Amino acid sequence: MRRSPAEIALSLGVLALGAGAAAITSGLSSEGGYSGVGPNFFPALTSAGLVACGAWLLREALGGGWKNRSPDEAQARGEHPFHPAAFAWVSAGLAAQMALIGSAGFIVSGAALFVCVARGFASRRPVRDLAIGVALALAVFLFFVRFLNVNLPAGWLAPLLGSAGI
Amino acid sequence: MLETLGALGTGFEVALKPLNLLWGFIGVTLGTFVGVLPGVGPALTVAMLLPLTVKLDPTGALIMFAGIYYGAMFGGSTTTILLNAPGESASIATALEGNKMAKAGRAGPALATSAIGSFVAGTIATVLLTLLAPLVVDVALRFGPAEYFALMVFAFTTISAVLGASTVRGLTSLFVGLLLGLAGIDSQTGQARFAFGVPELLDGIDVVVLAVGLFAVGEALYVGAYQSRLMETLEKISGSIWMSKEDWRRSWKPWLRGTAFGFPFGSIPAGGAEIPTFLSYATERKLAPHPEEFGKGAIEGVAGPEAANNASATGTLVPLLTLGIPTSATAAILLSAFQNYGLQPGPLLFQSQSDLVWGLIASLYIGNVILLVLNLPLIGIWVKVLAIPKPQLYAGILVFATLGAYSLHQSWVDLLTLYVFGLLGFAMRRWDVPVAPAVIGLILGPLAETQFRRALAISQGDASVFYTQPIAASVFALTAIVLIAPWLARRLRRKR
Repeated sequence: MRRSPAEIALSLGVLALGAGAAAITSGLSSEGGYSGVGPNFFPALTSAGLVACGAWLLREALGGGWKNRSPDEAQARGEHPFHPAAFAWVSAGLAAQMALIGSAGFIVSGAALFVCVARGFASRRPVRDLAIGVALALAVFLFFVRFLNVNLPAGWLAPLLGSAGI
Repeated sequence: MLETLGALGTGFEVALKPLNLLWGFIGVTLGTFVGVLPGVGPALTVAMLLPLTVKLDPTGALIMFAGIYYGAMFGGSTTTILLNAPGESASIATALEGNKMAKAGRAGPALATSAIGSFVAGTIATVLLTLLAPLVVDVALRFGPAEYFALMVFAFTTISAVLGASTVRGLTSLFVGLLLGLAGIDSQTGQARFAFGVPELLDGIDVVVLAVGLFAVGEALYVGAYQSRLMETLEKISGSIWMSKEDWRRSWKPWLRGTAFGFPFGSIPAGGAEIPTFLSYATERKLAPHPEEFGKGAIEGVAGPEAANNASATGTLVPLLTLGIPTSATAAILLSAFQNYGLQPGPLLFQSQSDLVWGLIASLYIGNVILLVLNLPLIGIWVKVLAIPKPQLYAGILVFATLGAYSLHQSWVDLLTLYVFGLLGFAMRRWDVPVAPAVIGLILGPLAETQFRRALAISQGDASVFYTQPIAASVFALTAIVLIAPWLARRLRRKR
């Protein structure tokens, strides 16, 4: 079996995560009161566990690959090869929402998310998606704000929603 | 025994109050609606619908949740049968035969045997839960922190190391969950840990954000990248949806056998419904009068695994309600629903909030009935939901998913956390790392730490409490056995 660079990278990632956690743990107090076990004990255990898992994964990755894994070839999994644009559009949608939700509000950012994700899934009709996205986000907004009293930002649409009595 | 019936009677009084009944109805309907969506399993359904209950009283909310849970299970089966898209590993067995039946124009009977089988299994399992829970509670009342810690370690081990394709990947997932669970303020000393000065992290990481990130965002990234350009065929329901006499004759025994597999596996911390559904499938295949039909659409292969799946789902409520230990991702999210109300499931809850607990158990009986009367007649609507095209479907799922995370602190930081968990979920799906151990580790880790330190505080720092107390010591011994036995068996086989 061929060595997989991704497996090696992920194994090293787990090792690094464990090492990072251990570094942070060393700054925590060991003062344990009656129990003799401080707030640093479980973090130390967890870091050790991650380091051990990372080392074990790396050993598998270097010696014949991780065991019992689904095939790397997309076709063997019944899927198509990695589609970078789809991945990027979904990510972009979420990034747009993060950036917009505070200022533009839930409806605008939700609609932006909707259009981007649909685009990533190969939808060719952005205008229609925008209409659906706005309608969906508006319905969700009204349901949560009016019916459940959950606070969601109205943002740019606040004057509009306000004059409509919402 | 009489005491139990009395408590259950009170529970029915609670659950049958018109308003609670309404919450049950809403829960089942919403649960089915969301559960039917391809790619949305029960765990994600429950996580996404959690924000809906914030303003309800705890009893109403938990009753609604019972409905959502059952509805999501049924919705998932529908998708599996009609679309051949098992939303979770426990549905794979159903997909084997159910989708073949649908392709052969027998979608109706496949859905019917799955629905009625789920009803039968769910009801029997709820009866068993009713009988078993008080017994476990009696034992559990004698447990101290050391015993609880031992049980939690046992649950961690079975969930992560024993099941699944790889011990080390299961453990990695568990430790990642445990690490995430450490973020926030240490409950014993008030010291902040792993918060990096970010106020949103001081509260700890919400299990809903992790579950939604792994299951919804991760799934959207994965399906988008690897499946969005594939064509799928949605099977139509042609002919009668009802089962013929022959179908009934062939179904009832698999239902009962499936229940017998599912409930025990669910109620001991043995991690989910995967094993019992496959055991049921294999058994039915062996016992069937026409084993050659298997692989071409044998109704026994749908009836058995579906019953096993549902019975196991109810079974997971035994450790959850009586000990406060979740053994599946869905149970972990239900536990967080309890915690949102400041309730900690366990033996004490049966005493302090008896009405709530028994009301919840009673509503499981009712939820099963609602599911049966509501869903088979409405199957036409659910099929329409299934026909939503993928681009709009995943876009809609993400709008809901982000809403839940954002409403926690009204902060974009939670959306960033969600995306990071989404990337994690993508990688875990792509490289075959199970996600359930991470979700369970996140919520159970802090509880385990509390019990551990409490046990040591009581013993004044003497670690021998963990091996001199008989119950704790035997649970640890059992943990060691389940951890070493498979490895030992493999070794012995290789020698021969």
